[in-house]
Amino acid sequence: MNDTIATEAPEDPQRPSVKRTPPARRALPFLVALASPVILDNIGWNPFGGWKILAGFIILIAVGWFAWSSAERDPDDPRLALKLWHRPDQRALSAMTCLVLVALPFILATDFDPPMDFPWNTWFRIVNYIVLFALGAGAFNLLAGYTGQLSMAHAAFLMIGTIVGAHIGIIWGQSFWLCIPIAAFAGAALGALFGLPALRLRGLYLMLATIGVHFIVLLIWKEYLVHYFGFGGVQFAAPNIPSWLHWIPGINSEDGEFLINTQFRWFWLNLAITSLGLLFIVNVIRSREGRAFAAVRDRDISATLLGINVARSKIVSFAISSAMVSVSGCLLSYYNRARSEDSFTLEQVLDYGIIIVVGGFMGIQGAIFGSIFFFALPMYFEWMREELPFISDIDFFSRYAGEVDLAIRGILVVVVLVWRPDGLAGLWQSAKAKLLRLFDSQAGTVQ
Amino acid sequence: MTIFASTFFDLDVNVQLVVSGLALGAIYSVVALGFVLVEKSTAVLNLAVGEFLMLGSYFGVAFFMERQTNFFVGTFVITMIMALFGLVIHYGIMRPMVGQGFFAIVLATIGIATVIRAVVQMKFGPLEKGNLTALPTGTIEVAGANIRWVDIIVMLVVAASVGAFLAFYSLTRTGLHMRAVASNIEAAAGVGIDPDRAYAVTWAMAIGIAGLGGVMLGHFTPSINPGLAAIGLRAFPAAAIGGFTSVGGSIIGGLIVGVIEQLAGGHLGTKWREPVAFGILFLVLIFKPTGLFGQKDLERV
Repeated sequence: MNDTIATEAPEDPQRPSVKRTPPARRALPFLVALASPVILDNIGWNPFGGWKILAGFIILIAVGWFAWSSAERDPDDPRLALKLWHRPDQRALSAMTCLVLVALPFILATDFDPPMDFPWNTWFRIVNYIVLFALGAGAFNLLAGYTGQLSMAHAAFLMIGTIVGAHIGIIWGQSFWLCIPIAAFAGAALGALFGLPALRLRGLYLMLATIGVHFIVLLIWKEYLVHYFGFGGVQFAAPNIPSWLHWIPGINSEDGEFLINTQFRWFWLNLAITSLGLLFIVNVIRSREGRAFAAVRDRDISATLLGINVARSKIVSFAISSAMVSVSGCLLSYYNRARSEDSFTLEQVLDYGIIIVVGGFMGIQGAIFGSIFFFALPMYFEWMREELPFISDIDFFSRYAGEVDLAIRGILVVVVLVWRPDGLAGLWQSAKAKLLRLFDSQAGTVQ
Repeated sequence: MTIFASTFFDLDVNVQLVVSGLALGAIYSVVALGFVLVEKSTAVLNLAVGEFLMLGSYFGVAFFMERQTNFFVGTFVITMIMALFGLVIHYGIMRPMVGQGFFAIVLATIGIATVIRAVVQMKFGPLEKGNLTALPTGTIEVAGANIRWVDIIVMLVVAASVGAFLAFYSLTRTGLHMRAVASNIEAAAGVGIDPDRAYAVTWAMAIGIAGLGGVMLGHFTPSINPGLAAIGLRAFPAAAIGGFTSVGGSIIGGLIVGVIEQLAGGHLGTKWREPVAFGILFLVLIFKPTGLFGQKDLERV
């Protein structure tokens, strides 16, 4: 009975109309975004160098518009809201992000003359760090932001990942590709173990107990390092792609081995693992488990009344987060090539804390924005200090370079926290909402 | 491998370790006191407490080493400057941030810590300075152990200032206001106490005490360097043993942590100091989260 009324209701001009598109049509913009930089690079069209940057922007806008127009809309279908990236703006942005991420290494690997000597080449390392830290920060955000369990044992899991990587990769001489899953399992098991205090403690007390965990694992790490590698620290070899995988296009084997030893090659590995990890976290958050985490964060006693097993939720959150952090620790160590006794400090945990709080305390966007803030900004300051005429004349800045960066970072952290409590992600969300209202009068209604 | 050195049962070694542990513990108590005061009254976890301690030590360098100020005058001036910093932090940062999440405010204190570290390195350079020598530097022999005068004076100064603080806290009207606001801010505001003013005084006193501790630490350590800020972390085990809600308990907790740490460092090697201190923290939190003197707070769902 209701159906007939609903279908015969007059079309409301304010409501977004129903639009169905076949899956192939929806996937097409993403395929274009992923393939076009690779194709352009392969036909020798030095991508986006010099004036061609304009062509790059045109492709970017085209991909975005393509994804926007192919998005599904159906306000009456509740299943649509559960999908990842279902709204037109989300689809457009994610397609554009895919394009930028795939094009970025090709841009950074070319050495064209940028305006004002902007140091593209040195940015490659920064980009790799941003990608790597985004995984660790996202995992931290799942635990601290989403489940509300403030843990300071973050660096401890970086250490565990490094120990797994060093022991399996160097002492036992196994492949790097074995280290990553084992680091994940070890991190998950030890995370569940070190998460046990969370069953008894909350907030500040839990935070302090996990500081205890940090120092205990730090002692283990130092003992391990001295016992197996001596005081000089441990040196990691570059990971090697095995020869039976050399048929993959893009891998050109020189004398039978393909080492991941350049920034360009590292980028793809880091990007792949970080994307998978963040996708996993997003999917956890969308699932029943993730909603249970949010309930535990908001009020754990009320969560029990909803039938949520609070102990299980806390432990699972610890395990997932620790597994991710352990993987990122293993990757970071292989990427850094060297680790010593002083590589892991409590300040590192606070750095991750700065990343997620400045970026935005909840959600994966915050982790990414925070990593960019944390790494790109000092680099940008360095460039300003050296190249901009008014600033490079000031002797004080070049003499106290590191300290000035530290001070600016500290001031910016305080300013962001006082002025914008939801962090850079909140800033981005409100800017996006304003922008969308310009494009699409219905955008505000579809939330 | 011998875990214990052969001096494990020597009385003079142990006396020496205990006395220097008490002096170190006195500094920890001061740090923990400033920490607990802020935590209890304003519910802010001040992770910058170690940096304020370091700043106090560097003010000591500026006053005693570079300007040869009298010890008492210099200490008083440093404490006052640091108290002023406390006021600035309250009115400039903490008051605008009221109502934000716990972790955001913690991170704001880390931002403050970063700025302090940067400014100290700009002003004094990254190289370490020698320790302060405004106090007598000799030793005295007690029970076969050589005890430094500095240790004794540090303990006395800390005892005197902590006593003065506790008298202020428990006897004066302002101290009463501070305690009232700490115990229940709505009720305190209801009977006409200005919580804002009480918070400001709390911050000023906490940071001022940290500055005093920094001066003492500058006399106690072999060298003054930016790494001294790591001492601030010891406020946590000290405060945990005392119970986070007990101002007096934090002092005893600081002494306990100092002595245990010196004994562990002396007998097991210095790398055991941090794990032992934080292992105690871990065990106390697991088995008695309210500490020795803390009160159990009831929570409404």
